[in-house]
Amino acid sequence: MASIQLNSVSRIYGQGASAVHAVKGIDLQIEDGEFMIFLGPSGCGKSTTLRMIAGLEPVSQGDLLIDGQRVNDVDPAERDLAIVFQNYALYPHMSVRQNMAFGLKLRGTPGPEIESRIAGVAETLGIRPLLDRKPSQLSGGQRQRVALGRALVREPRAFLLDEPLSNLDAKLRSVMRTELIKLHRKLGTTMIHVTHDQVEAMTMGTRICIMRGGEIVQVGKPQDVYRDPADTFVAGFLATPPMNLIPARIEAAGEGLAVIAPGLSVPVPEAYRAAYAPYTGREVILGIRPEDLFETPEGAAPAAIDCSIETVEALGPETILNVKLGQGGSELAARLPAEGDWEVARQIRLFADSLRMHLFDPETTRKIAR
Amino acid sequence: MKVARLDGLVRHLILAGFSASIALPLLWVLRVSLTDKLTAYRLPPEIGQIGLHNFVEVLTQYDFTRWFGNSVFVAVLATAISLPAAAMMAYATARYRTGGWPLMMMVLSSQMIPPIVLVLPMFLVFTTLMPVPGIIAITIAHVAINLPFMAWIMISFFDEDTRSLEEAARCDGATRWQAFTRVTIPVAMPGIIAAGLLGFILSWNEFLYALILGNHSSQTLAVGLASLETHAGVNIAPLAAATLLALAPVLILLPFLQKYLIKGLSLGALK
Ligand SMILES: Nc1ncnc2c1ncn2[C@@H]1O[C@H](COP(=O)(O)OP(=O)(O)O)[C@@H](O)[C@H]1O
Ligand SMILES: [Mg+2]
Repeated sequence: MASIQLNSVSRIYGQGASAVHAVKGIDLQIEDGEFMIFLGPSGCGKSTTLRMIAGLEPVSQGDLLIDGQRVNDVDPAERDLAIVFQNYALYPHMSVRQNMAFGLKLRGTPGPEIESRIAGVAETLGIRPLLDRKPSQLSGGQRQRVALGRALVREPRAFLLDEPLSNLDAKLRSVMRTELIKLHRKLGTTMIHVTHDQVEAMTMGTRICIMRGGEIVQVGKPQDVYRDPADTFVAGFLATPPMNLIPARIEAAGEGLAVIAPGLSVPVPEAYRAAYAPYTGREVILGIRPEDLFETPEGAAPAAIDCSIETVEALGPETILNVKLGQGGSELAARLPAEGDWEVARQIRLFADSLRMHLFDPETTRKIAR
Repeated sequence: MKVARLDGLVRHLILAGFSASIALPLLWVLRVSLTDKLTAYRLPPEIGQIGLHNFVEVLTQYDFTRWFGNSVFVAVLATAISLPAAAMMAYATARYRTGGWPLMMMVLSSQMIPPIVLVLPMFLVFTTLMPVPGIIAITIAHVAINLPFMAWIMISFFDEDTRSLEEAARCDGATRWQAFTRVTIPVAMPGIIAAGLLGFILSWNEFLYALILGNHSSQTLAVGLASLETHAGVNIAPLAAATLLALAPVLILLPFLQKYLIKGLSLGALK
């Protein structure tokens, strides 16, 4: 059980002109028992951050605290954390049983207890028949389970998972996703899960930490981050299809305001008027989630959008329409119910719930507070 | 179909040619070792009277057993000393880039210099260190030339894969030393064995240093065999028998070398 705290933590590879600033002074507090997700595109510093927590990578600047104790210079062997690597890193010269026993033996756990812990974990993960095999005799999914088992038997203070599911096929990945969620619920141990898969991020964690270019962009509960993205990067990263982002302007319209873009005019609801008023006459980025577009007027302040259908993706339970706004406007994705006969090139009218629109400042890309 | 068969035939002919060029001299030596000096030189070749008398002669009338013993001593001791040192050097270089590229260039260049350039300075060093250089000097020289070579081979066995295994072990609670001895070394073992076998064979066959740094009592097989070519002519038949006896350990080791080299090279296959 452990809380983990990062205070202005940086990691700089190399020196001088060729130095790579992989992690740039991040602050993060991970509570005891949390399931924290590090989400971000490849190369944003997720693994580096995780490896600093594990002690495999030195902290260049700042402080790393585990349970309130500064551990910058504590050896990884003494941190009592378990890490599951993307490539699993099973010891190839040891059987599955020996792989799992290794860490316990090093800590001087008595033999009978090692045996019973291995038996228990092997039962949970369904790897009992594999205990006497060598890693080379296992499939990818089995290796993944064994790697997880090796971490579980240790009963560490926290689990660090570096993209453990990314080498599995889609079906196995969703099975393991569910199992990890169950495991976390059962054990209640702090987990940090690194991924670049936004489905994993949305479904698994109690909180998401979204990273970009070595910095933290936003931290929050999955639903909060989804509902209220801090900037266009987060808005465009979570969910597929992501939020529609349309270059637009705010202009005075009669008594109120409207967001204007080629082929599009969305009246600003009264509730947001005060917040958006300073932007009158300025460029903004309008964000609308695909599921906030409807075939019929919906919500308190619907705005009509005329467009033509570009592509139709019938997914079964729902259909994704890619539509093009009139007058050379942008393309939008709309998530609509499965029923409906849509044809490519046909003109249709969709309705946006203007209460659910987001506006971003194009210069800072940050959300305009309201 | 026909073209394919012709293709296969041509390939086999080429391969047969290569094989023959390697095997024929050996078979020739085998033939000579079983006949006598007169038959050996006759053309076209004859088998003649076959017998083991040359082997008996080598073992009884020459110092063959001492040469053999010296070779075993030098090769085993030189390998036993250089292998652990080379393994640690390779590890340090692979893991921490110790010495960086200048060290790598030094290691490589030591392999590129003709041995004759180094042997005289080394002789001078040894004659100042000891009254008569001998078997110990030869062993030290072999350590000096084989160590960088073995380290060079082993660097690739301490690659990224063993690094991440070590990291897993460190998080599992192992000290650096435990991770090295319990994970890295066992995993890299086939590569280490292959490097050891290569070093042993190099040392076994080495001639120049053994000749120059040695004295009469420290003659190794390579030097001893050369001494069979006397001013009174070449004792070709006993020489052939001795050559075969000298080759035997290498021939026995070669299959192991092949096996461990392949195993070592495919270490990273487990991903
Ligand atoms: N050993 C290293 N030396 C130099 N740069 C590195 C090293 N490891 C990672 N980096 C750089 O640090 C940045 C972050 O890498 P990483 O944490 O692995 O990203 P992620 O896991 O999010 O894909 C990348 O730009 C990467 O190139
Ligand atoms: Mg990574």
